[in-house]
Amino acid sequence: MRILITVVIIAISQLIIAQTGTVRGTVLDKKSAESIIGANVLVNESGVGTVTDLDGKFELELEPGTYKLTLSYIGYQSIVVENVVVAPKKVTVLEDVFLGEDALQLQEVVITAAATRTTEVALLTLKKNSSVMLDGISSAKMKLIGDGNAVDAAKRVTGVSVEGGKYVYVRGLGDRYIKTMMNNVDIPGLDPDKNTLQMDIFPTNLINSIVVSKNFTADLPADFTGGVLNLETKDFPEERVFTISLGTSYNPSMHFNSNFLSYKSSSTDFLGFDDGQRALPKLARNSRIPTPISGASPEQVNSFVKSFDNQLGAVRSNSLMDMSGSISYANQISLGKNKENGGSKLGYMFSLSYKSDYKYYDDVEFGEYQRLIDPNSYEILPATVQNGSIGERNVLVGLLGGVAYKTQNSKIRLTAMHLQNGESKAGKFEIVNDGERVGQSGYFAVSDNLEYNQRSLSNVLLNGVHVLKDKNWEIDWRVSPTLSSSEDPDIRKTAFTISEVATSFSAGAGGNPSRIWRSLSELNATAKIDVTKKYQFKDNEAKVKFGFSQNYKKRDYEILFYDIQFFGQQAWNSSDPTAVLNNENIFPSSTNGIYYQSGNREVNPNEYSSNVMNTAFYVSNELYITKKLKTILGIRAENYVQRHTGRDQRYAAGDFENGKSFDNDKVLDNLDLFPTANFIYNVTADQNLRLGYARTIARPSFKELSFAQILDPITNRIFNGSLFQYDQWDGNLVPTKIDNIDVRWEKFLANGGLFSVSPFYKKFSNPIELVRIPEQQTSTEYQTRNVGDAQLFGVEVEFRKDLGFIGAGFENFEFNANVTLVQSELEMTKVEFDARKTYEKTGENITNKRQMAGQSPYVINGGISYGNRDLGINTGIFYNVKGPTLFIVGAGLFPDIYTKPFHSLNFTLNKKLGKGDRAAVDFRVANILGSEIQDYYQSYNATNQTFSLFKPGTSFSLDFTYKL
Amino acid sequence: MRMLNKFLILSLAFVAFTFISCDKEDDCTLTCNADEVLSAECTCVKLNTSNEVRVTTNVTANTTWTKDKVYILATRVTVTSGATLTIQAGTIIKGEAGTGANATALLVARGGKLIAEGTAAAPIIFTSIADELSPADVAAGNFGSPNLSSDVNGLWGGVIVLGKAKISASKDNGDVSEVQIEGIPTSDPNGLYGGAVDNDNSGILKYISIRHGGANIGNGNEINGLTLGGVGNGTVIENIEIVSNQDDGIEWFGGTVNVKNVVVWNVGDDGIDTDQSWAGTLDNFVVIASTGHCFELDGPEGTYMAGHTIQNGSIIASSTGRISEDLINVDANSIVNLKNLYFTGVMDGQKVNRVTAAGVTFEGIQINVDASVLLTFINGAVPAGITAGTTSKANISGLGWTWASKAGAMTGL
Repeated sequence: MRILITVVIIAISQLIIAQTGTVRGTVLDKKSAESIIGANVLVNESGVGTVTDLDGKFELELEPGTYKLTLSYIGYQSIVVENVVVAPKKVTVLEDVFLGEDALQLQEVVITAAATRTTEVALLTLKKNSSVMLDGISSAKMKLIGDGNAVDAAKRVTGVSVEGGKYVYVRGLGDRYIKTMMNNVDIPGLDPDKNTLQMDIFPTNLINSIVVSKNFTADLPADFTGGVLNLETKDFPEERVFTISLGTSYNPSMHFNSNFLSYKSSSTDFLGFDDGQRALPKLARNSRIPTPISGASPEQVNSFVKSFDNQLGAVRSNSLMDMSGSISYANQISLGKNKENGGSKLGYMFSLSYKSDYKYYDDVEFGEYQRLIDPNSYEILPATVQNGSIGERNVLVGLLGGVAYKTQNSKIRLTAMHLQNGESKAGKFEIVNDGERVGQSGYFAVSDNLEYNQRSLSNVLLNGVHVLKDKNWEIDWRVSPTLSSSEDPDIRKTAFTISEVATSFSAGAGGNPSRIWRSLSELNATAKIDVTKKYQFKDNEAKVKFGFSQNYKKRDYEILFYDIQFFGQQAWNSSDPTAVLNNENIFPSSTNGIYYQSGNREVNPNEYSSNVMNTAFYVSNELYITKKLKTILGIRAENYVQRHTGRDQRYAAGDFENGKSFDNDKVLDNLDLFPTANFIYNVTADQNLRLGYARTIARPSFKELSFAQILDPITNRIFNGSLFQYDQWDGNLVPTKIDNIDVRWEKFLANGGLFSVSPFYKKFSNPIELVRIPEQQTSTEYQTRNVGDAQLFGVEVEFRKDLGFIGAGFENFEFNANVTLVQSELEMTKVEFDARKTYEKTGENITNKRQMAGQSPYVINGGISYGNRDLGINTGIFYNVKGPTLFIVGAGLFPDIYTKPFHSLNFTLNKKLGKGDRAAVDFRVANILGSEIQDYYQSYNATNQTFSLFKPGTSFSLDFTYKL
Repeated sequence: MRMLNKFLILSLAFVAFTFISCDKEDDCTLTCNADEVLSAECTCVKLNTSNEVRVTTNVTANTTWTKDKVYILATRVTVTSGATLTIQAGTIIKGEAGTGANATALLVARGGKLIAEGTAAAPIIFTSIADELSPADVAAGNFGSPNLSSDVNGLWGGVIVLGKAKISASKDNGDVSEVQIEGIPTSDPNGLYGGAVDNDNSGILKYISIRHGGANIGNGNEINGLTLGGVGNGTVIENIEIVSNQDDGIEWFGGTVNVKNVVVWNVGDDGIDTDQSWAGTLDNFVVIASTGHCFELDGPEGTYMAGHTIQNGSIIASSTGRISEDLINVDANSIVNLKNLYFTGVMDGQKVNRVTAAGVTFEGIQINVDASVLLTFINGAVPAGITAGTTSKANISGLGWTWASKAGAMTGL
């Protein structure tokens, strides 16, 4: 409420400003797309003037009227902008004005104010002249198209696909090789096990740009290979932003569905966190919990059992529709207008967003399949198959605020962000286990699963930019701490084993009811400084850039586990999980006699604490060797030290001799050099040929370099940290080093069109993949391991063109396509090769080469869009697909698991309404083809079988935005 | 400046939103019994008035456990390769409570030896810490628990013996064949078993009663009463009783060991379970009221094929509140000779699941039902070796030392 009042006060205060109007604009260098600092801006009519600041921005306050502005800078051709209309209390924006070099002393160029508002010119110029191969989307384009949040905007960036509405893939390379940054600072995602940041919380009107760099330069962190996505928030909005938006989404298979599954929520679930209802009962933390055999009295055991929430069953009820809303406010205040030195400015922004989603998946399937040893038996057979449905409710609250202050030569900004996310999940499954399969005992069970996951992320960024000494030095420093947490309080699984003769809980079959608490907290602190010095080299502008950064990360992780046990005989009338914790079943009752047993040792092997200190230096030099050939040579050094505190199960079990324990011991300590060389040859004014080489790295995560064993309670699959040793795995997970060679030929076409062809080659030493552990045959367990070396060849073709060539009326249509083809090849370890050979089928020819895990063989993005500025309409249909991708490496008994291509076809329509386009309606249809999300087992000559299957259905959403 | 104040308010609201959670301190309300003290961690700890020895580490050198003491397994205690654990007749071993990684057990790793030679008058008893059974009770011939009912299970793990004999596992890498035993987390390599030494010797197990165990380490992955993985026929195993284990009574994973004179009573899963081409014989045994299958007999999983013989057994397929599932459950590829077995206490719905498996033979098997309905207990045509009848097949004269016998659970056999 207070926030709302404050926003209203700020809004009112804006109305009291005098009856003049404001002109704002940006002056950029035509060649480099970089801002020109200190350019002169003169109002022809009055002789009043100002200069541009360090962002190339200027601001003038003028009486209402129509003006001509002259923009000039030494060595550049002047530009006169005509028809600059100033209205009272309004801001007139000249978006990007480019000054070209004044080689021939020609007369000044004259353009109109409207012409400065062409779309994406700055970004395209930036792309054309950038040192790296980058793609992106600017705020201008986002405004034009009307995308609501960063995810929709990012999807329009070439070569980018977004999975699950959240996570970014570039050129078909997944999370391990992709990185997201915000304001050029590494910040962890809401999902601590992913590299990428959840982007659907950023409203586009607060985003300055989203840029994806596909190759490495020394000033970027070295731990990416596919691409790094940087989301830059606005600091000084050109115009006041005050928008409210409301949205809803309807999915016929998920919403208003009376089969929706849920369970009792806490009073604060709607805000994205639990109020303590799911908290671990106090006594449960003790090393000896009250049990019938711990010496506790029956009353103590009874009250301890009752101190746990008594709901074990999922409940069917009606689901609502998805709802979302956001409010954002941003503006800048000039603290001295029309000053010759440009004056100083204060910018600020604030945004609050809220989303509540309901998802219901029917016909969810999880399967565990095995091969047969007989070389003539091709089909793979089910060990365990689970079928059922899952209901999810997801709440996301995002708060983003920022304030920035700048003078002519300095800028300081502070941004803060908090994300709060709560996901409540309830599922019902039927489990069929076939005793004829290896390691299996055979049973039928019905299970109820209840889960809650709450995540939060709080980030602060303090950033300063200073321009010194005739604008030739620029210093940029950033300090950014982030606190994040992920909690899974009270994950419950209750599975009745049903046989022809009895219904009961059977430890050897469906298992006893269990409850798990998981908790993760992470601190991430980054400090960095970048210094750029401009100089002249053979009459061309050159730049040397150097910098230092330090990143510290610390994670604490813990899993606690409890099992329901029965003291004596079980007797159940039905398989109704809601009745399990009824009073009459709880110890000391003689039937069922429920009590809890602790799975937690005093020394918990499933608890760890890890930290990383990454210190980096780099130096990079950019210069033109000839007029047409630009080079960027750089080197980056990163000293990366990861420490771990944890112990394996043997140590925790008291076997100090053979067990392993780490006490803040180094598990990674590497000083690596990352050289990079980029060459850009201007074939003609609109054609570039680029060549780049770089070495990069992909490091194991905290979870991977640990002794944690993390059970997914629904699927019963277990992730193992890589520190565990097996006879084929030495427990020593090392970073993957990647050599990247990138070539790109690009031709820029009229009206923002583009055609480019980019072949690339990457060589991976010690790639890390998720591998099925073959020794464990009863439960399904995985571990990340270094596998054999790999390499890939790929080519990315991008084409973007308006369809004006077809005929009149088609110029507002644009076709774009981005296709990446990749041939990856990994050389198997001997162990993997031998294991595959053992199960070689008749007619199958196994070599020691295979596709890399996580690398899609092809990615296709394509779409046709129509944009008409006069009608305020923007609409389009977009298609995206990734080829079948190896997900988990099998071998031997267990077949490989692949991710099935998801054919994503989406339609969007954005229409601006009302005077001055104050309102906008956004209509979208997602997954028009009704594609399914499936991972499957694949084996020679066998029918593919499901590993996991979800049917998301088609959803229709409508958003309404209003500018106040 | 006014604007800055607004931002201050906004920032405060922001910070307040960020730090919402808080924790309360524990306060201990536990009251302890007279023979216990309250620990700092709010637990009741028994005063050490007895002759208990708490075993917290592995047995890595030759060790003897003597009958005048009670040995408490505080963890998964492993007899490592090269070490021999000798347990004197009449010794009691108790496992502390726990589940998952916290489960306690006695594990004899490959190359380790267990010499546990009890006698009918002084058996060796593995039970739970909750069991008040004392050396004095055993000495006096009272082998049953004074306080725990014979159907309480899952209080601790069990006994696992692993050896180097052949197994038919599916993880063949050409030369060696070894896999991880059920019930031990994959991360403990002491849980690996299998090899090529068919006459491997893991020691001597005689007159042993294992009770109230079966703690699980994950759904469907728990500890049997007695697990025999790749145990070779140089090992002697006879006169074994399993009472109220949460998982199977005895489970063989390959190996060649022969076992005789066995009682399995009130287990929570299968009575007798075989996998991975166990190539030995089970002779003279009784299975009473296991709530999984009476027999769960699987075939080879790898290219190595061998079978086993199960003979001279009496099976009580139900008791009050406890009904077994299948009488016999075999896979299509099972290899087993079933000889001279008697099933009684048979209920409607219980069946011999398959009679068509080529490697499975039936001989002298009697089911205590009326001949006219025998067909309903067989899934398929009734084989010649299965008839209706009432002749008990096990010789229980030597099994009188067991708790099951003393409790009258074998009456009528």
